[in-house]
Amino acid sequence: MSYRVDSFGDVTSFDDGVSLLMSGTSTETNQRLLDAVTPKADERSVVITTNTGAATVLKELERRGADREQIGIIDCTNADSEIEDVPVRTLSSPGDLTGISLEFAKLFDRDMDDESVRARVGFASVSTALMYTELRTMFRFLHVFTARIRSGGMFGTFALDPTMHEEKAHNTIRAVFDCEADVDEDGISVSGTGFE
Amino acid sequence: MADGDDQPTVLVVEDERALIELYVRWLEDDYRVLTADGGEEALEQLDEGIDVVLLDRLMPGMSGDEVLEEIRRRIPDCKVAMVTAVEPDFDVITMGFDDYLTKPVEREELLETIQRLLSRSQFDDIEQELYALSSKQAALRSSKPKEELEENEEFRELQHRIDELRGELDTTLPGMDDDDFVAMVRDIEGGEDSDDLPGDFE
Repeated sequence: MSYRVDSFGDVTSFDDGVSLLMSGTSTETNQRLLDAVTPKADERSVVITTNTGAATVLKELERRGADREQIGIIDCTNADSEIEDVPVRTLSSPGDLTGISLEFAKLFDRDMDDESVRARVGFASVSTALMYTELRTMFRFLHVFTARIRSGGMFGTFALDPTMHEEKAHNTIRAVFDCEADVDEDGISVSGTGFE
Repeated sequence: MADGDDQPTVLVVEDERALIELYVRWLEDDYRVLTADGGEEALEQLDEGIDVVLLDRLMPGMSGDEVLEEIRRRIPDCKVAMVTAVEPDFDVITMGFDDYLTKPVEREELLETIQRLLSRSQFDDIEQELYALSSKQAALRSSKPKEELEENEEFRELQHRIDELRGELDTTLPGMDDDDFVAMVRDIEGGEDSDDLPGDFE
């Protein structure tokens, strides 16, 4: 099994368990990340957002054809969100990594006992979270998170804006991921392993 | 893991003598087992060589929570599984424990839990090396042009070792679940929130 993607350069699908680093300015990656995490039939989608409110994320996913019951959102923007029919968990800071993991676990607790559940996970963005945590901490967190995505056979997409970090930080973060998508106004190019 | 000793060390802290004997019988083939029948004795036994502590939450004298705090302070790398009478939820993990077992504890469950905790420690060790190498590699990438790096022996060896470690990391916790995930992230944040342990959990 794999996760099918549309309008994603030459790539048509990502393998189960793969995590993708999506590099580009947030205007570009926000849209592309939502493309990547939009659930197909029988899939679920969890978006962890640090820079866009839950209402916008929901609207954008629905516009792309997702049903409400497929979606879970962890909103770290510290904004009130009153959305009905969609589990939205709110956290006061993108730096609350334990909170993120806990809410993630709770969102899946409802139906993840069923091992066949297929899920896409989006994290937008690593750059915002990095303003609240050390690089070392983020590196460890991403390793553990991508290991969870791997063991659960999910598909993860993590956005990062390289212009917000030193080159060394970007290069270090890269090492965590199976593959990387470079996104700019000209399009998207994917390198690494775990896709077709 | 303890240096110069193939078997990992488990400390069993339990006030019921019969349970200690039972756990020791289950564990002694695979592990070096230390025992303590109360919190004070557990702290006397604590040393760097201990990999996993099995800790009864409710004991006369010093409580499991107090013992946990002291373990965290003295051996930060040590994994601690709480043994409790009540089925807890994820909150137990934000309280500082790495895992929990509900009484009555069964043999398979106990062995599986200890194995999982040891795998987490192993994951931490590999991850630490991976970070060191990835930082080194990132520094090289930022300082030299790509063409030059491809010719560079040190860079190639580094890449090879990183690939190896990534493979090991992927196979260390194949059955990683949400409990592992939450506990490991909690560990990363380093027990900063140990002040707000709820006291009346049970």
